[in-house]
Amino acid sequence: MDLDLAFKKLIMKQANYQSGNLGLNLLISRLQSRYASKPTQEELENSLQEMRAFFAKYDSILQKDIEMLKKL
Amino acid sequence: MLVTLEQAEKLILEGKVLHIAADESLLNMLPKGNWIAGTTPYFITEQGGVTCKDRLFVNELDCAVGHKISVYDKDSIFNITKDAYPNGLSFLVMPFASEVAVYFAKEAPNSGDLIMNPTVGWISGYDLAAGGSAKVFDGSTGLSYEDKAVALHICLPDDKIANLGIVNIFSINEGDTKIEFAEDTLSVSKCLINGEEMYLSDYILENKIDTQLPLVADYNGSYINVSIKSVSAENKTVELYAPVFAGKTYRFSSPVSDYAASFAERLKEHEDLKPVFSCNCILNYLYGKLEGKATPPFAGPVTFGEIAYQLLNQTLVYAVVADK
Repeated sequence: MDLDLAFKKLIMKQANYQSGNLGLNLLISRLQSRYASKPTQEELENSLQEMRAFFAKYDSILQKDIEMLKKL
Repeated sequence: MLVTLEQAEKLILEGKVLHIAADESLLNMLPKGNWIAGTTPYFITEQGGVTCKDRLFVNELDCAVGHKISVYDKDSIFNITKDAYPNGLSFLVMPFASEVAVYFAKEAPNSGDLIMNPTVGWISGYDLAAGGSAKVFDGSTGLSYEDKAVALHICLPDDKIANLGIVNIFSINEGDTKIEFAEDTLSVSKCLINGEEMYLSDYILENKIDTQLPLVADYNGSYINVSIKSVSAENKTVELYAPVFAGKTYRFSSPVSDYAASFAERLKEHEDLKPVFSCNCILNYLYGKLEGKATPPFAGPVTFGEIAYQLLNQTLVYAVVADK
């Protein structure tokens, strides 16, 4: 599954995934709260950009998370 | 590691990039160099917890290929993410009860930039028995501050990446009483207890809640604590060591009967780590009677607040530098 689709599901709370990575959990939590208070397409896209940037930077230490997210 | 003043001086004069924690009397004697520091006389060493005013805890940051030191106040603290290296790690130390620490505590969770620029650190303190003031030191200038934050930004090699983690011995159950707040605050009067408005102080006193246990919020599976500072039946207020946030659901932690044993159990999953920095909360040190008890593989200052992207309470925080 394309990661963007998994990211969208997480941000919109349509799926649940808890990581062992503190930064990722804090990011997911913040983006979920932000989207819940402003559920617009623009907010969703902004949140997706943050997720993409985080995964791009930390790709090497998030491999297990990436594999799990592909199954969401 | 705990070192003597002479050993610390030698490291500084060799040009090492250092994070230091120690009593103010020692930090005042250090030569200028590539270091930052905060005050505390409490440490957890490889031999266990200790109160000490004749040694300094030094983290030698050999992983750094570049560094810079910055000083921030309340108005500039979030420049910390602009000053961070694109592939780096920032060490941040702020004085207990300072305006900059309070502001950071309230605003950090809103900063997406902090997640992208890993920031680890602590709130400096003082000897609780003797009194004193919490300070931070900029080793590059030799200046110390009670009202500013200091940061040491390090640049990592291209084949390394920084990662932050926590060890939190406190946990909650879904069925526990839910507590919610209408605003982000360090001082609580009314709140919602399972949806009903009530004074938090009344709830704590009527239910004989052990205030050594923190409030805990679930951040997508990472438990984040807020510790109780004081409860006033007269003023109907509860003061906190970190803010609670509107929109989060809190529960009081389940009891912990043996802090050292709880840490030991949780630390089994971290035994292969080689942290470049860690710290643990003064409340864990005191409530958990950690004097003489070690928390391997973690050693470091005992602190009046911990920082891993945001302010934490009653938590062990660590940073590692991993291979990409």
